[in-house]
Amino acid sequence: MVEKSKNVCEEDVFNHVFNTYIKDVRRFIYSKTRDLELAEDIVQDAFVKIWENCETVIFDKVKNFLFTIANNLFLNITKHNKVKHNYIQNNTNTSTNQSPEFLLLEEEFLHKLEQTIASLPETQREVFLLSRIEKMKYKDIATQLGISIKAVEKRMHKALIIMREEIGDI
Amino acid sequence: MTAKNENIEDTFLAKWIADELSDTEFKQLVSEADYLAYQKIKEGINVYQHIETADNDFTLKQIKEKISSINTKKKSPKVISIYYKAAIAVAASLILLFGLNNFFFNDVTNSTNFGEQQTITLLDGSEVILNAKSTLTYNKKDWATNREVTLDGEGFFKVKKGSTFTVNTTNGSVTVLGTQFNVLNNSNFFETTCYQGKVSVVSDEQKFVLTPTMRVTNNNGIVTSTTIQPNQNPTWIDGISSFKAVPLKQVILALEKQFNISFKPYNIDDSVIFTGSFDNKNLKSALASIFETVQINYTVKNNIVTLERQP
Repeated sequence: MVEKSKNVCEEDVFNHVFNTYIKDVRRFIYSKTRDLELAEDIVQDAFVKIWENCETVIFDKVKNFLFTIANNLFLNITKHNKVKHNYIQNNTNTSTNQSPEFLLLEEEFLHKLEQTIASLPETQREVFLLSRIEKMKYKDIATQLGISIKAVEKRMHKALIIMREEIGDI
Repeated sequence: MTAKNENIEDTFLAKWIADELSDTEFKQLVSEADYLAYQKIKEGINVYQHIETADNDFTLKQIKEKISSINTKKKSPKVISIYYKAAIAVAASLILLFGLNNFFFNDVTNSTNFGEQQTITLLDGSEVILNAKSTLTYNKKDWATNREVTLDGEGFFKVKKGSTFTVNTTNGSVTVLGTQFNVLNNSNFFETTCYQGKVSVVSDEQKFVLTPTMRVTNNNGIVTSTTIQPNQNPTWIDGISSFKAVPLKQVILALEKQFNISFKPYNIDDSVIFTGSFDNKNLKSALASIFETVQINYTVKNNIVTLERQP
């Protein structure tokens, strides 16, 4: 493959684009829809559109194009179904209603959160990932790491305090 | 932040995030601002969890399924598509048996014999040079609206600018607007090389856009893309058959076509990859230049070649 003329129509280049940006697009769209299934549909359709337009997409501009398409798909879908209704409700309720479901999750916030998780001290990050990603109980984490449950909880507690400090006022 | 309960002062966040402490209880322990911030962090962590654990391979698979279902829908019924190999086989045998197409549909067929080359000028001035033992078919009547040809064997195309020009083969189709490119199609082997302009190739449901020096090869269902040395024309135009990383079987096929020879059923591995060339005018040197390099002994008798592995 010629490095200088990366062609998105080539399957391995397309796969590379997918692997590079799938996380970013997911985060971007999920922050908008707050609906996993809908987000997944939009993400998939955005990549299908990339493929359909692979001849016109310039490799270096593909990220931009992908996000624009994903956003357009989101806007068009919300225009036509109840998500718009929910979304507006979410937005308008934020100021008055304190219920957590109505908090907005901006893309920027999610990104910052990910960075903070990545930069947690190793012992805290380990507990955090086992608990929140692997969905393990504190008791099981304690057994696996050979420490007390209380110690596990302390690490988790500290991790959350760090996240709160890093992210600042919201 | 003030903790009511001394016991959980340094763990209550852990308890709350794991749903061991209710929102109401949690609210008692932190300020209003902290409460909202932690709620948002909790939500964010859920999103993070979804993003981190999403099955990307599955998503990619679904994307590809969507793409191929779109491609299927878009297929024009007029284009003889590679996906209907069986239909082509039936149509091809009908043409052979009855010459039906020729009779009713104004089809024009040009064929070359062993060792022969032929230059065909199409109705729009586009040029096709057919290599040995190849067949090109197109429809005279439809030509103005439908620049479409069917190729078996090998041809070098110099297409005049204009509407879409399509070359259909049993293993793939090639679409261009105006450009120069080479198509080689044998059973289970298909190769397209772009020499000028831009060429779009679909083979086994995979789509490629080629620019000069780029080549797509479909060897028995395995589709790859490579580049070749920049060249004006394929070398076979000047009487040299050259190969870059092709199975030996394709080289043997080319020898048969150029020299009207046939090979005895042989007991050698013809899937070994060969790179090199032979002179179309000299059988002796052609055979030598190929088989000497791959350690195979050969003998020629009455235009029949016997191949044997070198001991």
